[in-house]
Amino acid sequence: MDHETQQPTPPLDAEAMARRKFLGRVVTVLNIAVVGVLAVPAVQFAAAPLKHRLKEEWLDVLGDDELAEGETREVAYTVAVQDGYQKVDRKYVVYLSRQDGEVKCFDPACTHLGCRVKYQSDQHRYFCPCHGGVFDESGKVVSGPPPKGLIQHPVKVEGGRIYVSRMV
Amino acid sequence: MIQEPPESRSPETRERPIITMVPDVESADQLARERPALRDWMELRLGWWGFVRKNLDEPMPPGVGWWQTLGNLLLTMLVFQFTTGVLMAMYYSPSPQSAYPSVKHITDTVTAGSLIRGLHVWGSTCIVVAMTLHTLRVFFWGSYKKPRELTWVVGVLIFQVMLAFSFTGYLLPWDQKAFWATVVGTRIAATIPFVGQDLLVLIRGGDEVGALTLTRFYAIHVMILPAALMALIGIHLYLVRRHHIAGPVIPQKGAPQPFFPNQLFRDVIVVIIGIGAMFALALLFPPGLEAPADPAGTDFTPRPEWYFLGLYELLKIMPAGWELVATTIVPGIVTIGMLFLPWLDRSRSRHPAKRGWTILLGTFVILMIGLMTLKGILETPPHSAHSAPAEQHARH
Ligand code: HEM
Ligand code: FES
Repeated sequence: MDHETQQPTPPLDAEAMARRKFLGRVVTVLNIAVVGVLAVPAVQFAAAPLKHRLKEEWLDVLGDDELAEGETREVAYTVAVQDGYQKVDRKYVVYLSRQDGEVKCFDPACTHLGCRVKYQSDQHRYFCPCHGGVFDESGKVVSGPPPKGLIQHPVKVEGGRIYVSRMV
Repeated sequence: MIQEPPESRSPETRERPIITMVPDVESADQLARERPALRDWMELRLGWWGFVRKNLDEPMPPGVGWWQTLGNLLLTMLVFQFTTGVLMAMYYSPSPQSAYPSVKHITDTVTAGSLIRGLHVWGSTCIVVAMTLHTLRVFFWGSYKKPRELTWVVGVLIFQVMLAFSFTGYLLPWDQKAFWATVVGTRIAATIPFVGQDLLVLIRGGDEVGALTLTRFYAIHVMILPAALMALIGIHLYLVRRHHIAGPVIPQKGAPQPFFPNQLFRDVIVVIIGIGAMFALALLFPPGLEAPADPAGTDFTPRPEWYFLGLYELLKIMPAGWELVATTIVPGIVTIGMLFLPWLDRSRSRHPAKRGWTILLGTFVILMIGLMTLKGILETPPHSAHSAPAEQHARH
């Protein structure tokens, strides 16, 4: 136990050297295997959310008669979604807009970095509060950094109701 | 805090290995017979005083002074950060339903809760300030040059870890500010070509910021980053001791001084000031909470933590389609430039005047970051200012 009296190991002969080299490699391989049996399931576990596939759902959001020609309005609706370990009613907001008789549904997430755009009916424009993105009522970029127009969700009108599709 | 063993006062014994200080041990029973003092008994086994003495005697080249106290200030602040963080983890609960009420409970109900949370919130700001000053001093002194390249590289990694701490911690209160800053902040990953969308899902733990984003950020904030930080700081300090502190760029006359007492005294003064400032901020500007996160809300303007405001401003001035420049390319180049600085700056001398372009470019980058951050801070509407007392109204 006394470290003052510890003897150095004697020099190794050729055979012992070769054995050392060989066993050293075996140890390396085994250690990589040990790391592997942990790392592979660990990465799979942490990356599990990548496996989730979105599926389309149609939701009844508004009566057809509640949206006038030329009008744009904010509509909120809830969808039951699986949020990790729990089912929750997630609330979504979209803009419904009727232009030339056609109903369109715009996502309020700015195409720049996802802040919520706000529609100003007096100016017929959507404004993003974050970096100054502006969109017109057809969703096209008017100015600012957004790279493309507002994202649209498919819409159908059936039996006097407006349905919006959403990937959840 | 640290007591000097009486032996170290005489210069002859200071050089001798500590083990000879203990009566020569032939066998365990001799030791038992002589009934050594507990200190000697421990010393033989731990070698503790040898370690302490080595650090107290650490040579400080003449000219080392106040600027070299920032590292120890950072260490102390990190102890505070760890302590307050572990304490809050006893009350905090990371789920979309419980995160907000648990933070509210910590702030409003738990004894000293507002102070503990305030120290943690303001601690992150103080650490970023102290870390920036420490980095600037190392940069201008050219202390990253041979043989201290890896000390610097590890420092740059520590810097990144600290920013990751801030980003993940910001979400945990799950109020509007937290939620929307994370929605926008994580979207930055999606701007990266090809892998962006998958990366976004990996970071968020799903397509949207939700329950799994919160548990992910929590695990990263309280497990992964602290472990990484401790490892990196361990290496950083080992290297600092191995290469000793670099003296001033123009060596000054005189022999090196031991760390104790002069430099240790300076350290303590700076620690008192720094920790005092942290307490003052935590007490004068108690941490607030905004309204609980509302994923459906459309009237909230997200703002990042103040030290990310420079990037935020950069994003604002980028034309359409150029966001990758602000989100990835510029920060990427600055980070890689910092990592490889010891090899990019090839001048032999550490003197700023002999490192022309390095100093020019460095000063330019520092000024740009500073100005953009300042612009961001000035444009922050007062109601969402960082922990402003006005926020307290939102609590009621
Ligand atoms: C929380 C983070 C950090 C802690 C706790 C820390 C701690 C320390 C300590 C105690 C010292 C010696 C005393 C001093 O010079 O102040 C030191 C020196 C040093 N640090 Fe850090 N540091 C941190 C971050 C950084 C960063 C971000 C960088 C660079 C990007 C860096 C680069 C260096 C270098 C190159 C030295 C050697 C200086 C010299 O020899 O003159 N450190 N650090
Ligand atoms: S997020 Fe809308 S302009 Fe940047």
